[in-house]
Amino acid sequence: MAALSSYSMPTEQPAFSFQNQPQSHASGGPTQHSFYPYTDNGGSTLGISGSSFTIIAGDTRMTSGYNILTRYAPKLFRIGGEGPEHAGAKIVLSVVGFAADGQALQERLDMVVKMYRYQHGKDMSVHACAQRLSHILYNKRFFPYYVQAILGGIDEEGVGALYSYDPVGSYEREQCRAAGAAASLIMPFLDNQVNLKNQYEPDAPQGLEKPQLQPQPLDRQTVEELVRDAFTSAVERHIEVGDGLQMMVITKDGIEELYSPLKQD
Amino acid sequence: MFIARSEYDRGINTFSPEGRLFQVEYSLEAIKLGSTAIGVTTASGTVLGVEKRITSSLLETSSVEKVVEIDQHIGCAMSGLQADARSMIEHARVTSQSHAFNYNEPIKVESCTQAICDLALRFGESASGEEEESIMSRPFGVALLIAGYDEDGPSLYHAEPSGTFYRYDAKAIGSGSEGAQAELQSSYHKSLTLPEAEDLVLKTLKQVMEEKLDANNVQLASVTKEKGFRVYGDEEMKGCVGRIENE
Amino acid sequence: MNSLVARYSRPAFQNEGYGEEEQQQALADFASPLSLNFALPPVASSASWLRAMTDDHSNPNCPIKIAHGTTTLAFRFKGGIIVATDSRATAGNWIASQTVKKVIEINSCLLGTMAGGAADCQYWLAYLGMQCRLHELRHKRRISVAAASKILANLVYSYKGKGLSMGTMCAGVTPSEGPALYYIDSDGTRLAGNLFCVGSGQTFAYGVLDAEYKYELEDDEALELGRRSILAATHRDAFSGGFINLYHIQEAGWTKHGFSDTNPIFWETKLKKGEFSNVTSELV
Repeated sequence: MAALSSYSMPTEQPAFSFQNQPQSHASGGPTQHSFYPYTDNGGSTLGISGSSFTIIAGDTRMTSGYNILTRYAPKLFRIGGEGPEHAGAKIVLSVVGFAADGQALQERLDMVVKMYRYQHGKDMSVHACAQRLSHILYNKRFFPYYVQAILGGIDEEGVGALYSYDPVGSYEREQCRAAGAAASLIMPFLDNQVNLKNQYEPDAPQGLEKPQLQPQPLDRQTVEELVRDAFTSAVERHIEVGDGLQMMVITKDGIEELYSPLKQD
Repeated sequence: MFIARSEYDRGINTFSPEGRLFQVEYSLEAIKLGSTAIGVTTASGTVLGVEKRITSSLLETSSVEKVVEIDQHIGCAMSGLQADARSMIEHARVTSQSHAFNYNEPIKVESCTQAICDLALRFGESASGEEEESIMSRPFGVALLIAGYDEDGPSLYHAEPSGTFYRYDAKAIGSGSEGAQAELQSSYHKSLTLPEAEDLVLKTLKQVMEEKLDANNVQLASVTKEKGFRVYGDEEMKGCVGRIENE
Repeated sequence: MNSLVARYSRPAFQNEGYGEEEQQQALADFASPLSLNFALPPVASSASWLRAMTDDHSNPNCPIKIAHGTTTLAFRFKGGIIVATDSRATAGNWIASQTVKKVIEINSCLLGTMAGGAADCQYWLAYLGMQCRLHELRHKRRISVAAASKILANLVYSYKGKGLSMGTMCAGVTPSEGPALYYIDSDGTRLAGNLFCVGSGQTFAYGVLDAEYKYELEDDEALELGRRSILAATHRDAFSGGFINLYHIQEAGWTKHGFSDTNPIFWETKLKKGEFSNVTSELV
């Protein structure tokens, strides 16, 4: 970071082009409290896409530090539906991180999707919505939303589509993704169970030619069970996850919402 | 007849007592001075054809550009003040590109036409410092035929300086538009193929053009699903013109 | 039109705590095309604030972890240009993804690479793609790589000091320039050159690339060199790994040469070619 103002090639990763070094408080000057507009509200979300459906799930606990603020604060939102019930929506956004930023993001995306319908006379495809969400996040590049978003829907071919985002909008279409506090607990489980990472043909001879197991599209029942297992396990090992599991299953017929309790402790 | 209007035809932001905006109506007149442009839709694509007025034998005919590309799947033909069309087309291009940037999909032809018509309304006197300033002190003097291919199939739109637009199966604009529209009315049917539409466009142009039609003073273009928008090259033009002359 | 309506109508929520700025932002979401209005935090020095929030390099406890890209390389040779990258994205020590596409297809003949902030690269290279397309429409010919890279360089220069983080390469083959390769970073640097490696694994990639590189490489040798250089970086740089993404650009456009898992490639390189002899584990 020292060589920021010189024009040499960066020696490590491309450096942030900040011109001012952060001020250290050791110099004896007055200490300033910095602007800190975020709270981590904990919780975790997860999405898995199948050949004709996408499931997005999230726990409903909301925390601040060690305090549980509420046991039912949904992290999943229907996007682009009509009326307070969001009837007819085909896209689900899940946000985890700072709930207020998540709410703001959801409102903005919902507005954009609705305006799109008025302006272009058709429903927005997930793939268009995915790009738009990325740009909405990036528009706050210099004052980011403190959220990790996952967007799910059904693409134009009828296949489940799942997109995951970082806080400033880089995104990727994936088969499965966990985000939030327990991401590091859930994601390895999904790698193993959904993408069959590091699983080999058990009967094949050991060695270089050892074939990897190829991930197969999962059916809905299996995925629902995976999601439940992922969350019940995460609740056992993470303080910020628990209370309730909200699940939304998106198929070509619409969105089905399921709720089941998790441990309340 | 113009004397009666004179009190109300100066200001572009004043209605006459009969409820008319004369400057806008006059701008429609400007189009009737322009060269003829024709568009015909078929099930497989849309054909655009324009008359190029070759005013001098020294004129480089390829520099007369009256059919232009807006995006890979949208093109447009113009009639009227060509210079005015440039800013509309620039606006249409930026709009369709920014749509692709924001939504990762090609813009619908209707939305693109809508964007052009929104721009057509941005004339008049606006207070300084307003967010969206007027870009013209008068209405645009150009009409556009916008042809495109999107998820709803091929389509053709006619956009006027007044900011209104309609969708057509076949439409003619410009100086020969009355005769041409009558011809299209009688000859158009839904089952035209693309080559038949090319012939129809050329034959209609031939009827209404003052000069004798040849491969240099007309220009065809088409929008199809497979090839998108493309302007026909010299050889292809000669082929099409030859086809109708042999009949 | 929307902003026209907005100007003359008073929204019902005007006095409900939505600030002027908030409304502007909302309008920008769908009104004017191409408005690059980025929201800024309400503090005097937004750059250092952003740094405190997002720069996990200098502050591992920062709240917002932005995904970062890592090893990317591109080099010119007689048969065109090779572009190769790994596929790992990290947010702090967490591997955010192993399947990132770090080669960004700007259009059918131009490629960009992604190192640094993933979102910065994705967004601005997509923006560049749009500008290139507009250039094509306005000037009726393909944009040169020099011009494209200059658009990007000027753009990031205008955001200098604001906190962007990107190190990218623009590569393409055009009739006027031949194979052309440019390096652009968020400081505003723009360099033309024969070969570049960018990202935390760049030193390891340079080690292999510099040793073996010559302009007269055949196509398959060049592809192999690109692959081998990335492999070296994924082996020694913890921030690099996943899959090797390989592209070859010729005048007709680019072709993709696979998105292949590093692990089998590593073992193949070790067992069949006898390299990586530092790794002692034996596979039967």
